[in-house]
Amino acid sequence: MKRRVVATLMSAAMVAALLAGCGSSSASSSTSAASSSSSAASTSSSAAASTSSSSTEAVASTSTASETASSSSSAAQSSDDATKQFDGLKAKEAYNFPMLVKSFQSTYWDAAQQGMKKAVDELGVTYDCQGPNSESDIADQVNMLNSAISSKPVGIGLAACDTTSVLDALKTCASEGIPVVAFDTGVADAPDGSIVCTVATDNAQAGSVAADNMYDAIKDEIKNADGQVRIGEVNQDATALNIQQRGLGFINEMIKLIKADGKTVSVEGNEFYVNNAEGADTGDTDVVIEVAVPAQTTVELCSTEAQTILSKEDTIAIFGSNQTAAEGVLAADANLSVLGSDVSNGDVIGVGFDAGSTIKAAVQSGQLYGAVTQSPLMMGYYAIYALTAAANGQELQDVPTAGYWYNADNIDDPEIAPNLYD
Amino acid sequence: MTKKKSLLNDQRFIALIIAILLMVIYFVFSKEFRKYSSILSMLDFSYYDMLMGFGVTFPLITAGVDLSIGTGMVCYALVGGTLVRNNNIPVAVAMLICILMGVAIGLLNGILIGVMGLAPFIATLSTCMITRGIGSMCNATPWPTLQQPGGWFHSIFKLTFGSGRGAFKFPIGFFLMLVLMCVMEFVLNHTKFGRYTIAIGSNREATALSGINVKFYHVMVYVVCGFFTGLAAIAYAAVTPTVQPGTGAGLEMDAIGGVFVGGVSATGGYGSIIGTFIGVMIICLLKTGLPYIGLQANWQQIITGVVLIVAVLIDIIKKRRAAAV
Repeated sequence: MKRRVVATLMSAAMVAALLAGCGSSSASSSTSAASSSSSAASTSSSAAASTSSSSTEAVASTSTASETASSSSSAAQSSDDATKQFDGLKAKEAYNFPMLVKSFQSTYWDAAQQGMKKAVDELGVTYDCQGPNSESDIADQVNMLNSAISSKPVGIGLAACDTTSVLDALKTCASEGIPVVAFDTGVADAPDGSIVCTVATDNAQAGSVAADNMYDAIKDEIKNADGQVRIGEVNQDATALNIQQRGLGFINEMIKLIKADGKTVSVEGNEFYVNNAEGADTGDTDVVIEVAVPAQTTVELCSTEAQTILSKEDTIAIFGSNQTAAEGVLAADANLSVLGSDVSNGDVIGVGFDAGSTIKAAVQSGQLYGAVTQSPLMMGYYAIYALTAAANGQELQDVPTAGYWYNADNIDDPEIAPNLYD
Repeated sequence: MTKKKSLLNDQRFIALIIAILLMVIYFVFSKEFRKYSSILSMLDFSYYDMLMGFGVTFPLITAGVDLSIGTGMVCYALVGGTLVRNNNIPVAVAMLICILMGVAIGLLNGILIGVMGLAPFIATLSTCMITRGIGSMCNATPWPTLQQPGGWFHSIFKLTFGSGRGAFKFPIGFFLMLVLMCVMEFVLNHTKFGRYTIAIGSNREATALSGINVKFYHVMVYVVCGFFTGLAAIAYAAVTPTVQPGTGAGLEMDAIGGVFVGGVSATGGYGSIIGTFIGVMIICLLKTGLPYIGLQANWQQIITGVVLIVAVLIDIIKKRRAAAV
């Protein structure tokens, strides 16, 4: 009997340990590939927005960012101020920068390199791009960073695979006076004086771009609706900062747009998003924004959440806020077949985020109305500019890069296509 | 021995009642769940859990475990999908590769555990990491969709008639699972392999002393589990838009949890495939059904955990009673 109890306890402990171990790691890696970049951006833009890593403060600060961004629906607006600091920039010498990417696994990093190439051509500097075999080879990247430091470069570009593992190396950079530009992924707890500039996606703005474009497609439907209509949002979690900012960026922009047209709107579903949405009404409203968050960050569970929303008769649109969530929406539609672009015909407008061949194909076929992509290209481009400016001795402010809308019409445009990894 | 067991003493019967109860609750409280498409989706996502469950029942009966099935499944699906996409191999061959990889990792598990004597938890935890690593070498991979060439394999699990919104879909996979269930139940109870599996779980020493090649059958237990993991990889590829590297950890817990709910003894020596079928169905009902009645993520996990505890408690209480008699 004792043995049985001990066995049961032990297996419970094992399960707990496994869930804790595997669970947390999958949370960070599940977004992977695409999102490697995007999940990364999580910490980043918080660092961009404020040095504090406390999520509430960061959310508050980014919401102001989204306001400035949303005042114009164009994507590039928000980064305008930050990029002015590079006006008329010239390299004082032919600098060479080591650029550390997360891996060469995804075409995401090819896009980043295209941006770097463009920048070095314009500035007359050079770069060496290095990266480990996969984004989980954290130790390899740290070694590369250390050997880059030992060659005493004028500056280092870093997209950290793991933001805590690079802290020691960053301390060395600070003491040796080597400026580091963090791109794609910010390092929230970086030692003072090490990271001079962070170039990463402004997730709140990216979320609001999705809301702006979705609203164009559904505003007539909202205006002419007899009863309540529902807009869904699937966020893969309520804990990662990038997803929080993106999800709230979408919700807050949508609330603003709906209210501007004289309708009432409420938010229901996941508590975090309900509590942090700004300006929502309560009670019986014209529009309901329903936010679903799955128990785990798998496509399967995202799909189930999407399915519950899509099954409701009054749903007119749905947003999946990263690759996993957007693919969950598509998986749910496999049995429902309600997504499309003709709202008056009863189609539900689906909007995705990031890329990957599944989402690209869905955008091309019109199953998804469109999607928002981050811009690794611009991140690579501005990282080189920031490094050159830093090497010149210029003081820098962080550069938030925009999220761009793409649909079947502009998916092949030269500014968009390089950002869309497979 | 008593001649006839009361139905209530059979955990499978209790599990079946729980499953039906869950269905009824969902049907009453959610009009969305009543839709055919919701049932279809739930079934879509149950096949790979079910196949993993069938497989892992065998190691669990021997009082072992296979933790590598979750990451293994994703790994095989990734490798198969990558070969289809980059090397243009036919989907049928990719499916075969999935199964062969499953068998190979199963064989490795089996040798480590049955021959070398490693603890099942440690051996399969290692292969869990190994398969996860192998999977991470691949890029995120979509298998062909139904409309693309090679998309026929979707029809193994779901027949689609027509296209677009009017299409009718039939969950043939569910019936396939029922057939598999019957076959494996027969294998477990009426073949040498099945009987020896149970014998190893009851008492490995005694089984060895009675002249049975315990090592061989112990290895085979894990090979069978690997084989089913390979099948699960195909089912997983059929429902997941893009198989993502680095995922899969934790998926084995749905299957293992389902097997325990279905009445496999946590200390080995007893189990049934019918029980596994019902148990995994309950886990899938909890996983995919709870969102329909408006429960938030945290509550879904809490309830699933409670169901697991209750299931294992029933097993313990039953045994205590049996011991008291």
